[in-house]
Amino acid sequence: MEVILQQTLAAVAGTLAFSLLYGVPRRYELYCGAIGGAGWFVYAVLMQKAGLSATEATFVAALFLTFLSRCAAVIEKCPATVFQIAGIFPLVPGAGIYWTSYYLVTGETGLALENGFAAVKAAVAIVLGIIAVFELPNSLFQTLCRKRKENHP
Amino acid sequence: MDKPQAVLKGTALSSQGRETGEDARLVLETAMEAGHLLLENGAEIFRVEETMTRICRHFGVEDSQFFVLSNGIFTTGGYSRQFAKVQHIPVKGTRLDKVVAVNQLSREIESGKYTPEEVRRELERIRRMPDKPLLLQFLASGVGSAAFCCLFGGTLAEGTAAFIAGFFLYIFMKLAAFPHLSRIMAHILGGAMVTAICLTARHFGLGERLNPMIIGAIIPLVPGVSFTNGIRDIADGDYISGSVRLLDAILVIVSVAIGVGIVLTAVGRLGGGALWK
Repeated sequence: MEVILQQTLAAVAGTLAFSLLYGVPRRYELYCGAIGGAGWFVYAVLMQKAGLSATEATFVAALFLTFLSRCAAVIEKCPATVFQIAGIFPLVPGAGIYWTSYYLVTGETGLALENGFAAVKAAVAIVLGIIAVFELPNSLFQTLCRKRKENHP
Repeated sequence: MDKPQAVLKGTALSSQGRETGEDARLVLETAMEAGHLLLENGAEIFRVEETMTRICRHFGVEDSQFFVLSNGIFTTGGYSRQFAKVQHIPVKGTRLDKVVAVNQLSREIESGKYTPEEVRRELERIRRMPDKPLLLQFLASGVGSAAFCCLFGGTLAEGTAAFIAGFFLYIFMKLAAFPHLSRIMAHILGGAMVTAICLTARHFGLGERLNPMIIGAIIPLVPGVSFTNGIRDIADGDYISGSVRLLDAILVIVSVAIGVGIVLTAVGRLGGGALWK
């Protein structure tokens, strides 16, 4: 669990850094960091504690962080992508891409294929997670998240 | 020829309250400018179309049509004087603050705060919004690289090496690669440069394992915006733009992998593979 928390901290820092690179307005940067960290936390817990496969964990984490992004979008009245683009980075199979090219270079084609396929599966899982949450009607997020806004005007 | 002018609703278009083709033209050009800003700074297609439609509808220009692609906007509309315009919008860096600002502006337009002239001035202000200082961007790239290196199991020393690689990578990308090179070549060279820096760092005893260092340092090259927006566009039914963006994401990723691979191969040949483990 300690490792997962350390990794989550790293994910928060990384997401914050990338939100800065993409010019996210300063007042939204903390949301981005929190959403990126939450996505990784869900992914790591599901994979290491609940025994889900990497693809399944990626899918659920993508669902979760897209859901949070849409909530933040309703609260702050701004596009959901602002929160989502940086938040998705910890889930993007950057390592898978690296290992694929690494094994291609070292001539271990079987391992390269395996890693490349895993990276593609992770990417598809992210795609499905994002699409599934964006199919939900906006009114759902309005009722879920707008109320909190009214409490402190 | 002269058709009766449609009555413009919303705020008064010109100070005298005249409703002419000129006004419709101004509204359409303003809408296009808003769309242009959104598109080149990383908004999805539906957001561009929605914003343009909102602006036109609010100022009473009802008979307008937009066709938005990932790199261009086609507009027709207007009353008796027909308005038609095509704008090519090449891919630029992502500036989400500008997307947020235009989005905010379009909400404020709907609440009736602006005349078209004022909207144009606002858009011009948004276009000129200053970028974050370059040094801060380089540092952010370095911190991001270090963070992802640690996320993928790197030690503190390896994270430091990734920081250095990410820092110099972004200097190269921002000042040399993006303005002067094609996206493919820029990312091949970027991947190669990162790998070379990580090899050098390890050669001088900074970090032990090459893999987490390189994985961390190539993350700033990952095409997160093209990927996410491409998915959104396809989900919205904008297949052409979505495919173009996903193709861009794939090209970039493959290019980075090639860049990393080239340097690893070259060093492997020279050093007999001993350098890698």
